[in-house]
Amino acid sequence: MAVKFFGQYLVEKGVVSREAIVEAIALQDKQNLKLGEMAIAMGLVTPADIERAHQNQLSRDMKLGDLLVGTGILSEGQLAEVVARQKATHLYIGEALVQVGALDNEQLARQLEAFKIDQAPYLGESVQLPPGLANSALWEMAVDLTYKLVTRVLGLRFRPGTCQVVTQLSAAHQVAALDFAGDAKGRYLVAVSAPVQKKVAQALLHTAVVDHEPLEVLEDCLLEFINVVCGNVAAKASQQGSALSINPPVNIHPPATGLPLAAQEQGLCFPIHLEDGDLMELYLVLPK
Amino acid sequence: MPKKVLVVDDSLVVARQLEQIIGGSGDFCCIGSVRNGAEAIKANMQDNPDIICMDMNMPGMDGLTALRSIVALDKEVKVVMVTSLGGVSDNFNEAMKLGARCVVSKPFVAEDILRALRAL
Repeated sequence: MAVKFFGQYLVEKGVVSREAIVEAIALQDKQNLKLGEMAIAMGLVTPADIERAHQNQLSRDMKLGDLLVGTGILSEGQLAEVVARQKATHLYIGEALVQVGALDNEQLARQLEAFKIDQAPYLGESVQLPPGLANSALWEMAVDLTYKLVTRVLGLRFRPGTCQVVTQLSAAHQVAALDFAGDAKGRYLVAVSAPVQKKVAQALLHTAVVDHEPLEVLEDCLLEFINVVCGNVAAKASQQGSALSINPPVNIHPPATGLPLAAQEQGLCFPIHLEDGDLMELYLVLPK
Repeated sequence: MPKKVLVVDDSLVVARQLEQIIGGSGDFCCIGSVRNGAEAIKANMQDNPDIICMDMNMPGMDGLTALRSIVALDKEVKVVMVTSLGGVSDNFNEAMKLGARCVVSKPFVAEDILRALRAL
């Protein structure tokens, strides 16, 4: 029911054992060189260069490749060569499972086909975002997955509204927020009214009667919903080659007049019009 | 005799869902739930569960850190990670290398949890 990693899918389905997957991961760890290791293997840098770059990373929020280019250790062209070599020699988990004897090629092909069918509900659809947005494909995927999980997890029918650029977050009955870090940074928020909060709780608690539930439980339902959405966004990003991490979700409390965004932030609001006229709002607050 | 399961999740809702699924299964019983990794390590020592169902992304001590400690201290207990981050290859790989028996992704249905527990 979620965005999955192929190896995870195989273990979950009982197609391969835990021992086999651990052996295959070990083989991947041995064969799939990290960027620095590949650059050393290609004779473009020394181990000391990489060590210095790692030290630099402790005080500079940069990816290793960007840092190596920024400090003149690698040219843009050399970095592209290293990345291309990494891709060309990458051992995928399915191939690793064949190499350790857990699957044969025919079984692998059959399981990949079944995996594609399992994951088909999460194939991306287009979402309109403002032009020129950094990491646009990733944020588009985050919005698209939100829509899909509103349907699949909450069971709500809705019409997505047009994306609006905003300079502040509106006050709402509950605003749940979660921060993304890693290859892309941004804050993901969902704002709901009391009736929509109740609908979310009804879906997650699998009951029509939630009026007696304490506020903490009602709020926790929306927090868990965004945790599930953002975890699945990180999983999908991982399939697409981007590393995202997430923090536990929290509630934020904008004042009645709204919470202005900082000068270095840009805000996007995606209204989600529920079929009975209620509104749920998804916000992305991204660095400019 | 039903196997004893400890639930570890900071979400009250998920803890409740898991308690219901486990409690209603007939072959497992939920002996309680705690809300972060540090509490999980303590509860594992005190209550001696057969199985731990544990989230990854929790405030305080996260699930992978707790998994490392639990497996180092207790060779018998079986840990199933139940997490929204299960589909992230790095997280999955790390959990399996540290000793998790399975990783179940959120959102889950009862069948996902019971299949994982019954496969142990």
